[in-house]
Amino acid sequence: MIDNILAGSYSLLLHAVLLGLFIIGMDSSSKPHFVAPKKVDIVQATVMDEAQVLEEMMHLQELEDKKLQEEKERQTKVDEKLEETQKELARKEREFLDQQERAKIEQQQRDVKTQQEQDKIKQLEQQRKLEDDKRIKAEQARKVEEDRTKKAEQARKLEEDRKQKAEQDRLLAEELKQKADKKRREAEEKQRIAEADRKVEEQRQRDAERKAQQAEEDEKKRLAKLEQDRKKAEALKKKKEAERQMQDSLAEEFAKEAQEREATRVAGIVDIVVLQIKQKVKRNWNRSGATKSGLEVTLHVKLMPGGDVKQVSVIRSSGNAIFDRSAETAVYKAAPLPQPKDPKAAAELRDFQFVFKPE
Amino acid sequence: MTKRWLASFWLLALLLPWQAQALIIEITGGSEAALPIAIVPFGSEGFSAPEDISAVIQNDLSRSGRFSPLPESDLISSPHEKSEINFKDWRLLRSEGLLVGKVSSVDGETYQVQFQLFDVYKGQQLVGKRYQVPASGLRRLAHQISDQVYQALTGEIGVFSTRLAFVSVRDNSDGSKRYTLQVSDSDGANPRTVLQSKQPILSPNWASDGERLAYVSFENGKAEVFVQEMRSGRRNSVAAFKGLNSAPAWSPDGKKLALTLSKAGNPEIYVLELASGKLSRVTHNSQAIDTEAVWMPNSRELLFTSDRGGRPQIYKVSADGGRAKRVTFEGRYNASPDISSDGRTLAMVHGLNGQFYIAVQDLDSGAVLVLTETGRDESPSFAPNGRMILYATEKNSHGELAAVSVDGRIHQRLGESDRDVREPAWSPIRK
Repeated sequence: MIDNILAGSYSLLLHAVLLGLFIIGMDSSSKPHFVAPKKVDIVQATVMDEAQVLEEMMHLQELEDKKLQEEKERQTKVDEKLEETQKELARKEREFLDQQERAKIEQQQRDVKTQQEQDKIKQLEQQRKLEDDKRIKAEQARKVEEDRTKKAEQARKLEEDRKQKAEQDRLLAEELKQKADKKRREAEEKQRIAEADRKVEEQRQRDAERKAQQAEEDEKKRLAKLEQDRKKAEALKKKKEAERQMQDSLAEEFAKEAQEREATRVAGIVDIVVLQIKQKVKRNWNRSGATKSGLEVTLHVKLMPGGDVKQVSVIRSSGNAIFDRSAETAVYKAAPLPQPKDPKAAAELRDFQFVFKPE
Repeated sequence: MTKRWLASFWLLALLLPWQAQALIIEITGGSEAALPIAIVPFGSEGFSAPEDISAVIQNDLSRSGRFSPLPESDLISSPHEKSEINFKDWRLLRSEGLLVGKVSSVDGETYQVQFQLFDVYKGQQLVGKRYQVPASGLRRLAHQISDQVYQALTGEIGVFSTRLAFVSVRDNSDGSKRYTLQVSDSDGANPRTVLQSKQPILSPNWASDGERLAYVSFENGKAEVFVQEMRSGRRNSVAAFKGLNSAPAWSPDGKKLALTLSKAGNPEIYVLELASGKLSRVTHNSQAIDTEAVWMPNSRELLFTSDRGGRPQIYKVSADGGRAKRVTFEGRYNASPDISSDGRTLAMVHGLNGQFYIAVQDLDSGAVLVLTETGRDESPSFAPNGRMILYATEKNSHGELAAVSVDGRIHQRLGESDRDVREPAWSPIRK
């Protein structure tokens, strides 16, 4: 098929070239546009002939300039030549085609022959392979048998070796055991002797310790007795001391108590009188002049015997003169302030402070 | 340096003997009764003074509720100056203050008056002065002496020499009425008519100089606001806009008036600048009546009555306008505000069970104290020292004036009872 196409292409090409020549022949002034294909050798050969023709044509053309009267004759010649060349080309084409056809048939014949030979070779090859297989299998069987025999022999040998080794081990173990027994017996004997020695030593030590302990205890007893005696003496001394101190402090206590009783008595009187003073001053305090809350004034008051006011002074002012004055006035108005008959209590109420606050 | 000095001072103080004893007696409570004071009738050297000065003083001090003057029969002697006083004797009477003085005639018309106030227990003079006045000035001088005694013994400013303005109404025989605007002494005595009209006069309000009064007069057939000068009697209309012109209130500087005007259709609060006549609107509440403005002492805010919340309550608003803030919340009716000079106490008419009482509200705490019991009380007006509140009440279908202390403990009735008086305003302290 491909060959056919190729053949077709070539014929087309040839036709094209011929046409080109024809055109050139018709218009010799124009330059040739086609370049001969280079790929196909066969065509090249043909073109070579063509080139010759062309040369001749060109030559004729040259002549034409000089010999116009021969023109027609020459034209006819050229035509004849062309026709001839065309015929030649057709012939060559036919030859080429025949040649191809022949080659094809030959090829087919060759292919059939080759196929037959190959089939024969294949048959022979298969036969050979079967024989080889048979041979290889027999060989393998033989080898398996050989291996089995070898392995049995090896096993037997191994068992023999093992038995021999076991016997040797047993003998060795026996020997070791005898040696160990001997060693143990010797060690036992040694230990027995050492134990006896140790026991003797221990007994000796125990005796020594017991003796030392006894001595220590005796010493302790002696010291304890000494301490006891000392303590007894001390306690006795302390007791005597305590008795003496008790007597001293009792006297002191009595004095103190008397003093405290007196202080309490005076304080009691003072308390009562302070309460009386408070009430009397409060009754006389009219703070309506200053109604602002949060005021507080501190006064220092000195009294005369009998409770009359000797002096009133503002120590800390409330900041509100009216309020301060209301407190001072309250003290003056309350005079004479209550006074105790007891001179000691009265002495405490000669000189004191008042703090006035609404709440 | 000062600190170190103080520290050493205290150290020294601690070492003083009386400090070492440190018996301190604390006195709490005390009474707030009226202060006993002895007022000796002023000597008058053989002539009869046209005014009994000591009687006026005694009445003033007694009426204030802060003093209890000794009855004249208890006075053990009649000294007129310090050399004649035996303090020991006066101490026996338990009186804390002793006021003595005398009046002498310089010529037929001028009198010399002197007084001295003593602390009986300390034997010290607290205050003493000498004056020369015409006969017509004797009563006023007596009030001034009362102020000085009051201040010396309470520490507060006396308001006896201030005045009251009020409206008096009389029925004529032909059935018409006569309205008079009157000014009296602080005790309601010595009333003088400054304006009379057949048409109603309302809402007198004193300027802080005590020389001008603003009020509402219907003399032209509708409510107009007038300003009248006390000395010259000159008066002129300052607000006669269409509709209502009412409730004038002087700004603390005496340059502006807060007014209630309905020229825009609904009663609103306005501020009128008197010199320029410039008027600016303060409230914008066309649904409610805003009225009875009064200036806060800071001059920046106004208190007023409004029923914008449905019932009359008192609100506060910037004098420049803006949002009003409700001030009263106690009860369903609070109106006619007045404010104390320190700006802390609000006086108002407080409605309770259909009756109307004078009440005060502490603006810091919001606490309300009802001061009166009559139930038909109106128009509260603070005394300039903030201790008393003047108001109008009704007795036997007659209006009369009364005053109550801000703590509700002292009640006074002012003036004679045969007049029908209302709309009182307490004057500022005369400068």
